[in-house]
Amino acid sequence: MDFIRVRELHKTFVYYRKGAGLKNSLKNLFARKALVKEAVKSVSFDIGPGECVGFLGPNGAGKTTTLKMLSGILYPTSGEANVLGYVPWERKNEFKRLFSIVMGQKNQLWWDLPASESIYLNKCIYDVDDDVYRRSLAELSEMLEVEELLDVQVRRLSLGERMKMELIAALIHRPRLLYLDEPTIGLDFPSQKKVREFLKYYNEQFGATILLTSHYMKDVEDLCKRTIIINEGNLLYDGELHKINDLFNEQKIIRLHFSEPVAEQRLAKFGKIVSGDEYNVVLELPKHRLKEVSRAVLDSFPIVDWTIEDVPIEESISMLYRKESVG
Amino acid sequence: MRLYGLFIKNCLIAQMEFRGNFMMSLIVESVYLLAKLLYVLVVFRTDLHVDGIPPEGLLLFIGMHTVMTGIYVGVFFTNFMKIPEYIKDGSLDLMLTKPVSLQFMASLRYVDLALPIPDILVGFVMIGIGWHAMDIPLTFLQLAGFGLLLFIGVIITYCLMIIPALLSFWFVQTGSVSEIAHSVWDANNFPMAIYPAWVRRIGTFVIPLFLITNFGPMFLLGQLNWLYGGLALTASLVLFAVVRLLWNQAVKGYSSASS
Repeated sequence: MDFIRVRELHKTFVYYRKGAGLKNSLKNLFARKALVKEAVKSVSFDIGPGECVGFLGPNGAGKTTTLKMLSGILYPTSGEANVLGYVPWERKNEFKRLFSIVMGQKNQLWWDLPASESIYLNKCIYDVDDDVYRRSLAELSEMLEVEELLDVQVRRLSLGERMKMELIAALIHRPRLLYLDEPTIGLDFPSQKKVREFLKYYNEQFGATILLTSHYMKDVEDLCKRTIIINEGNLLYDGELHKINDLFNEQKIIRLHFSEPVAEQRLAKFGKIVSGDEYNVVLELPKHRLKEVSRAVLDSFPIVDWTIEDVPIEESISMLYRKESVG
Repeated sequence: MRLYGLFIKNCLIAQMEFRGNFMMSLIVESVYLLAKLLYVLVVFRTDLHVDGIPPEGLLLFIGMHTVMTGIYVGVFFTNFMKIPEYIKDGSLDLMLTKPVSLQFMASLRYVDLALPIPDILVGFVMIGIGWHAMDIPLTFLQLAGFGLLLFIGVIITYCLMIIPALLSFWFVQTGSVSEIAHSVWDANNFPMAIYPAWVRRIGTFVIPLFLITNFGPMFLLGQLNWLYGGLALTASLVLFAVVRLLWNQAVKGYSSASS
């Protein structure tokens, strides 16, 4: 059985445009032209129980809008979705008890109170049994190493500590489904790592399904086998993360290091110059030209070192965003 | 109810964190109240009679209005001011995912415990003085009737004053409508008999503003017939149903904020 089933989900927003200046404001006050933005266009996918899926896309791609529709925050303009047997935007309380959403840019903790008070509030909201609550709180705070900080006012916590508390508050009712919208945004590397480890553990230990959006490739690489990529509201890719490169496997990268300065333009005929200076150049070229180009550059240039690599995953994804030669 | 108790507890803890602000709120509200008491003094000095009601009777009206202002400021005001903010910054998103009534969460979450103390205290003292001076018997029926009308007043206050906040679902900024609502609020300070008949009718049947604090004292003074009592009860129920409907409609169209 599919845990999440999405068919042709579509969402449009109406907005207005206003040029700079008072004159335009005045014009706008009397007549404004409504513009329609298609945030999500006919997106369809299925997610099975226990899966951890990365949801990637540039800013404004429609990731958050999709998450908001799947959590019932927004009504779609058209399309269907079934999450755990419920239509999310019917907003049934039974459905709300089964999932949690954590947004890196929004917090649910009460700023002036210790985190423990907000977590206790969630316990009451979700009607969590006393025993289960005590056990969960102890377990979650131990895993995230914040037992000592539970009684400190939220506003006195660092960003990383606050995010950990947000996670505890979101997970205190043991949701089976977790939506994470950029949970590591703004965190330092150790905190990011800790949060990732924790999410991995939660996913494995409780079999929770996770749908994660993030701009940090490491988050997705570490946690998700499967990735869904969208841009401008369209689904571009749905499959294993490391197989994204297969879409671009016609391309290879050659890194060249020279012992003497070499004019960049002399290399232009061999492929696309991705970056470089007169001592180091990174070339991208079609796979079938690899042999010929390697031979030519080795013969013609003062090379001290060289490597051949696949196109980096970030680059593949950026190419996908730009809709460059897929497959 | 248990959740509401927790909200109150959390608010109390949070407010006690800022002792200075807590004290300032008390002082500010007391100063407002002092201005109102000066006004009462004028009523007594000039021996003002409204529709045959002597100054002592007027004290019932002013007292009831003061109590209701206290309740409004303490229980509703902060929340209603915050609703447009929730919409603007998208913090309604997380509330929407909680398995409790969103209307309850968004409109009753904060309770200000410092602001209403002087109002409620002094208001009840005024009612007490008026009650005693007007020789109104202190029977169960009188107390229960007054209590019920006070409760109906609270419900109507909630319904009428939340409407500007609700409009923000469509218009985002609704400060101007709130401003009007607050100005009209003080029209209740006196018996509605001081207004011409058409204002009384609008204030009773169209926008039932006078039902909030006028009916309680009128009941004590024997000026309220059963028909009006029934009207108050019905109006509060109908208004609540309308607000509930409006709320659901508003939330359905909620477009969240970009994040």
